[in-house]
Amino acid sequence: MITFESVTYTYPNGITALREINLQINDGEMVAIVGGNGAGKTTLIRHINGLLKPSIGRVLVDGLDTRSASVAQLSRKVGIVFQNPDHQLFSENVEDEIKFGLKNFGFPEDIINKRVNWSLKFFDLEEYRKLSPLMLSGGEKKRLCLAAVLAWDPKILILDEPTVGQDFIQKERLSQIIKMLLTQGKTVIIVSHDIEFIWPLQPRMIIMSAGRIIADSPSELIFNNISLIKEAHLIKPQLVELYERLRVKPNKPFPNVYEARVWLMNKIRGR
Amino acid sequence: MYWVASGFLFQRVDSIIQRLDPRVRLSLSLMLFILALISDSAIKITITMLTIISLALISNIAKRMARTTLFSATFAILIFLINLLLDYGLITSLVLALRFIAIITSTSFFFLTTSPDELECVMKWFRLPQDIIFAFVTAVRFVPVLMMDALQIMDAQRSRGLELDKGRFYKRIKNLIPILVPLVISAVIRSSELAEAMEVRAYGATKKPTSLYVLKMSNKDKFVMIMSIILFIPTIYLYLFAC
Ligand SMILES: Nc1ncnc2c1ncn2[C@@H]1O[C@H](COP(=O)(O)OP(=O)(O)O)[C@@H](O)[C@H]1O
Ligand SMILES: [Mg+2]
Repeated sequence: MITFESVTYTYPNGITALREINLQINDGEMVAIVGGNGAGKTTLIRHINGLLKPSIGRVLVDGLDTRSASVAQLSRKVGIVFQNPDHQLFSENVEDEIKFGLKNFGFPEDIINKRVNWSLKFFDLEEYRKLSPLMLSGGEKKRLCLAAVLAWDPKILILDEPTVGQDFIQKERLSQIIKMLLTQGKTVIIVSHDIEFIWPLQPRMIIMSAGRIIADSPSELIFNNISLIKEAHLIKPQLVELYERLRVKPNKPFPNVYEARVWLMNKIRGR
Repeated sequence: MYWVASGFLFQRVDSIIQRLDPRVRLSLSLMLFILALISDSAIKITITMLTIISLALISNIAKRMARTTLFSATFAILIFLINLLLDYGLITSLVLALRFIAIITSTSFFFLTTSPDELECVMKWFRLPQDIIFAFVTAVRFVPVLMMDALQIMDAQRSRGLELDKGRFYKRIKNLIPILVPLVISAVIRSSELAEAMEVRAYGATKKPTSLYVLKMSNKDKFVMIMSIILFIPTIYLYLFAC
């Protein structure tokens, strides 16, 4: 469980990026954090593994105050995948890149090998095992970064803008991976503008603006609130648009295309 | 870390000094530098330091100057200690240490008050080759970008369990690899992107490109320039021969 208790954070240059944040994220939750550029999303997630410590207030991860724990200690539980793969890939080959975290956390050799094999297979990177990470394409690099974090099996996974520069198939795959992690009871937090990507995951949506949380509710409720959508610079997902234009409609918007299809087909056949 | 690093980022602040022609600021900086070099007694170094500090205060850069000198402060302390050990006496050691700081701050006065655009103009005025000017100014502009990259890389690797400030000397050096490799690689990527973007925008198409900013001395600039020289000459004389 992650708890923010009236957290305010001011960067050393005087910019206050978080203002009085109160937030609780339970185990197994799927959370999407959205908001315009500079809203404070990245600053918020940097607090969860202790990279930043609150100027005022406190952050607890499973009851542990982030101020009294090291980043390494917290990262064992909280895996963050940052936006830019070029900011983290450095190893000679793909295999070593995945080993890096495992070694830092002190896993024994045989488990390291097992985990590396699992990640490579799971993320479809096996053929690149001995290749330099720099030779991979943009999408593959991103997958490798994710593989390198999931290898140590953190209980909370945080993804900062995971869909930027990804093609449709990769997004679909990422979506599948997230759903699988959720069935394993992991907590997944996504920072993203990509509303079409987020919508089918039906997350709890947290909207940030100027360092504050201005909304926090299930995604289907968010899109009922027109003024809020405007303030957050969001647009409605296409499935919500479709839902709103139907004269006869189900009791809530379609979570994904497949359900929309089933419902529409039934209606058409019913006529 | 961030606090020191941000001292090196150029911030546009406005004051009488920043509104002067950059060449006037360069000459002020040079005069202070010369004074610092020849300040070899307690009185002289006090006067030099006071002048530098008051100029820094007027131009609103005192805070940033303090940050950037933090690095050289360690050297200054070293100079102080070595001289003390060599039996030069407390005052002399202190003067030598302060002189080192004065040399650093007098040069940083120019760089802290001068934006990359102005720097470019000044270099053009000295008729340096266009390519050298461009390379230099780009390097200056890239410093903050690299600094932000470095911070983000450190965040990313620490999130993967890297502990930067732990272990013996050898381990610490080894810990720099995961930081330096991505830093160099992203700098190379950035620079090749920049090169392409420049070529697309016809960099080098003419031998003598026109400038967006052209330097011009106003009467105020000339006044400050002349006054400072009038003050400087007798001061030099006094420094060298009188006390
Ligand atoms: N390292 C930093 N130093 C100083 N200010 C920063 C730093 N990182 C972000 N900021 C500032 O904090 C605010 C929030 O930034 P950020 O959390 O990155 O927003 P988001 O991820 O929502 O785009 C912005 O105004 C940004 O300029
Ligand atoms: Mg961000």
